[in-house]
Amino acid sequence: MREITFQQAIRESMSQEMRENELVYLMGEDIGVYGGAFGVTNGMIGEFGKERIRDTPISEIGFTGAAVGSAITGMRPIVEIQFSDFLLVTIDQLVNQAAKMRYMFGGKGKVPMVLRTPNGSGLGFAAQHSQSLEAWLAHIPGLKVVQPSTPYDAKGLLKAAMDEDNTVVFFEHKMLYGMKGEVPEEAYSIPLGKADVKREGQDVTIIATSIMVQRSLEAAVQLESEGISCEVIDPRTLLPLDEETIIESVKKTGRAVVVHEAVKRGGFGGEIASVIQESEAFDYLDAPIQRLGGRFIPIPYNPELEKNSVPQVADIIEGVKATIYRS
Amino acid sequence: MSTQIGNLDQDKLLQIYYQMNLIREFEMEIEKQFMRGKLYGTMHLCIGQEGTAVGAIAALEPEDKITSTHRGHGLSIAKETDINLMMAELYGKATGISKGKGGSMHLADLDVGNLGANGILGAGQAHAVGAALTSKMRDLGYVVITFFGDGASNEGAVHESMNLAAVWELPVIFFCENNQYGMSGSVKDMTKIENIADRAVAYGMPGHIVNGSDVLEVMKVTQQAVERARKGEGPTLIEAKTYRWKGHSKSDPKKYRTSDEEKEWIDERDPIVLFRNKLIEDGVLNEEQEKKILQKVKKAIEGAVEFAEDSPEPSIESLEEDVYA
Amino acid sequence: MANEVFMPKLGASMESGTILQWFKEEGESISEGEMLFEVMTDKVNIEIEADSTGVLLKKLYEVNDEVPVNQVIAYIGQKTEDVEGLMKESLEDERDKTPNDNKEDHNLMPFKEREKIRATPAARKQARDYQIELNEIVGTGPRGRIQLDDVKEFVNKLEPDVKVTPLATKIAKAEQINLDEIKGSGVQGKIMSEDVRPQRSRVGEERREERIQMKGIRKVISQRMIESAFTAPHATITTEVDMSAIKEMRQELLPRIEEQIGERISYTEIIMKAVGLMLKKHRIINSSLQDDYIILHPNVNIGLAVAAPDGLVVPVIKECDQRGLTELTEVTKGVTRLARENKLNLDQMSGSTFTISNLGMYAIDAFSPIINQPESAILGVGRILEKPVGVAGTIVLRPMMALSLSFDHRIIDGAPAAAFLTELKETLEKPIVMLA
Repeated sequence: MREITFQQAIRESMSQEMRENELVYLMGEDIGVYGGAFGVTNGMIGEFGKERIRDTPISEIGFTGAAVGSAITGMRPIVEIQFSDFLLVTIDQLVNQAAKMRYMFGGKGKVPMVLRTPNGSGLGFAAQHSQSLEAWLAHIPGLKVVQPSTPYDAKGLLKAAMDEDNTVVFFEHKMLYGMKGEVPEEAYSIPLGKADVKREGQDVTIIATSIMVQRSLEAAVQLESEGISCEVIDPRTLLPLDEETIIESVKKTGRAVVVHEAVKRGGFGGEIASVIQESEAFDYLDAPIQRLGGRFIPIPYNPELEKNSVPQVADIIEGVKATIYRS
Repeated sequence: MSTQIGNLDQDKLLQIYYQMNLIREFEMEIEKQFMRGKLYGTMHLCIGQEGTAVGAIAALEPEDKITSTHRGHGLSIAKETDINLMMAELYGKATGISKGKGGSMHLADLDVGNLGANGILGAGQAHAVGAALTSKMRDLGYVVITFFGDGASNEGAVHESMNLAAVWELPVIFFCENNQYGMSGSVKDMTKIENIADRAVAYGMPGHIVNGSDVLEVMKVTQQAVERARKGEGPTLIEAKTYRWKGHSKSDPKKYRTSDEEKEWIDERDPIVLFRNKLIEDGVLNEEQEKKILQKVKKAIEGAVEFAEDSPEPSIESLEEDVYA
Repeated sequence: MANEVFMPKLGASMESGTILQWFKEEGESISEGEMLFEVMTDKVNIEIEADSTGVLLKKLYEVNDEVPVNQVIAYIGQKTEDVEGLMKESLEDERDKTPNDNKEDHNLMPFKEREKIRATPAARKQARDYQIELNEIVGTGPRGRIQLDDVKEFVNKLEPDVKVTPLATKIAKAEQINLDEIKGSGVQGKIMSEDVRPQRSRVGEERREERIQMKGIRKVISQRMIESAFTAPHATITTEVDMSAIKEMRQELLPRIEEQIGERISYTEIIMKAVGLMLKKHRIINSSLQDDYIILHPNVNIGLAVAAPDGLVVPVIKECDQRGLTELTEVTKGVTRLARENKLNLDQMSGSTFTISNLGMYAIDAFSPIINQPESAILGVGRILEKPVGVAGTIVLRPMMALSLSFDHRIIDGAPAAAFLTELKETLEKPIVMLA
């Protein structure tokens, strides 16, 4: 199969949808001629024009709110928030408005909107452009939260997100944009709320999100050579969360390591760990669940400091070994 | 007897008169029910502001849309939401317009083009921009009035929305009901400029100031803005000077203003009295018609209360419904 | 309100005691002052009286349970009282008392009931499924946590025991053979009929072995011997002493002392006196090893190994070097008698700095005694036997006695040990020097 990058997969998914559905349009800062801060919308303005590839003023709360207004009146906007840190500027529209309108209005109206946004560290953008805030949004009833980890998943999950009648926050890790992988040319959909077993194993279950899926797979290869067999599960969507796949895996292995880049304290890993221990998998646990996450610090600028602020492959290996009491 | 004022015929004028009275009676009724403990939470009454709500919305066609405010009962009634469903919602009943889940602050009725009252100031203006964008992109021809107060006019989202609407030339009317107070904050203390409408120039749109106690004047100014919007010429900012007779919410002792000030607005600038006098003066309304109209209002309110009180409470099973589409 | 019965603290160093027996069953009445239970410390067995009157409502521990001091072990009260509630309260009290005491001592793990057993959920489930009590399983995880594998291993060990073919079961039943003692020859140790058949012929012909559980003082002795034998490198040296002078001296002292105190002085007391004086001089022999320090004891307290009915006990005679032979005889006879009757108190068994083990009453010449830790040496005393010895070119018969000194080679080198034993020999051969 042909290989394309994560970034191309996202662009292709949007372009295919926009050809099919005239209600879909794209809105965001510098997404037109510039092609978006990370080049995701590169060239799209040529095909779809500036009405549907709509450059906005720098006013995140304004245009996100406009997207909500256009969604509830029948459009299917895709909003690009240049950095996921800027979600905090839009948060009223996401949390108080988009997520709640249908409920507040007694089941009338819907807000079919996709908010795409690059997240994560690794490129030296420091504290205000490198965060992973998915747990904030996964806390909000009414939203859906997606975190793809491969080009294939990115294309299929984005299609599902665009087909959703609810507001979806779609996190794209900056460090994954250049990752290549096999992606079918035709449009396809990966259902939200379905986890993917990225690698099968027997001894320990690693539940990892976004770029940590890739790091966990790397760790699993190294651990294999030491005789430790890891199962790597990518939930792909935090909200809804495929609890069943996680629970079944932990029942099999008896051990779980949860890895995300977001700050560990209050991170979504705590939720996953709780889901495991509240489930029937509890009786199969043969070690405390390990949580790995970013340190409790703002992301620093210096590349070495930055690297040390979030889990790396070696940390995952160590975390896995901790569950089997080896060092 | 003349049956017309300007280009408005008697039916339209009496309809406006009926709506203004219906709003006032509705508000007085729910205030009474609230104090009797029948209603829950809080509510924000718009008694005294009937001229702005009815005047502005009278300028719209049924397919046009509004976004409403937390002080939005009058706007809902003017946009012709069934007051039975409104009353039931305030009672928290299953038959309410939002099945008892939204209450006073989130009254919406998408079927009549009310995209929702909002508990967060400034949010509705952005929604209006989006709704107008839909209208423009799909060539639907409707316009959107977004209502907000003098308080919300200082929200960043309002400014962002005005800029967006202007730069995209969207069919939006930013309608500021300047009732002089944002909760307890006097507009004089919160805003350096005399008129909110002056801000229009900063976004490249026309700004108008209108006497909110004169329903026909409000309607006339709004009509001009609607016309401009429908022609694709973009948004307009209208500021209507008005006054809320009651406190911000039901727990407000109104320490921040004088009774002299209240008296002046109530005695001399009551939009209903002023409109009634004009209708009688112009021979559009006689005493018998007035009696009939007020009778109709009374009946409608009584019917709404009866409907609400007879309606079932929402089931606990409905609790988790409608979170997702 | 019911009264709590505590594990008594019977000496300053006592941290826990083992319940040897209960004199009352649950539900039985008991009066204040009546014996309730017997407890064994590492040094002594003591019967404990009830300190209240009522009904023994609940025993929290069984015989052979080791219980920390001050722990509630039983309740005495009125028949109708709610013991469960009290137990909860007392548990909470305990938690309040020691909020920061998170000593995670593996040795404490076998303490039943009160001790929380650390086990993973998976291990707990497996144990539940196999109806195994977790306290039977040794955890190998962090801080003694029982892991799934520990339970599996335990189960694997258990299962072969119960694996018996139907025919083997039938034969064993008919012949009254205890299958626990049969080693199966089948797959995974399954007991086959041929495994029980040869046994059949032996039944009735051969006497069955008797099994005595290692418990009580036997268990303590066992542990202490192991500890000593495998921590202190023992070396034993022996010498022979001509006891002619001592023999004479004893004959002279015997009537005098007996007249005074009614006890007969034996060689033991005289040897103790001599040893006491020697230890005062050879301080390294009267020492203990504590971590990285050798402690030279200021006092000479000699333990005397005594064969009590249940096993070896060692009463202590304090400050032997300071006492005259009369006093020494009186004290030694006294504690020896108490020892034989199991009536020593903890103080009478504590604080020895050196031990003498006298097997002279048997036909034993020399032997290698095991050091009574934490002491650093022990003297073994053999029988006195007339032997031909060369004296000034002629062979004469002399009453000879062998002395064996075992010493902890970590602390004491061969030379100082030899010097001590040599001087002891010389002293015993010329007892007059003791007066010097």
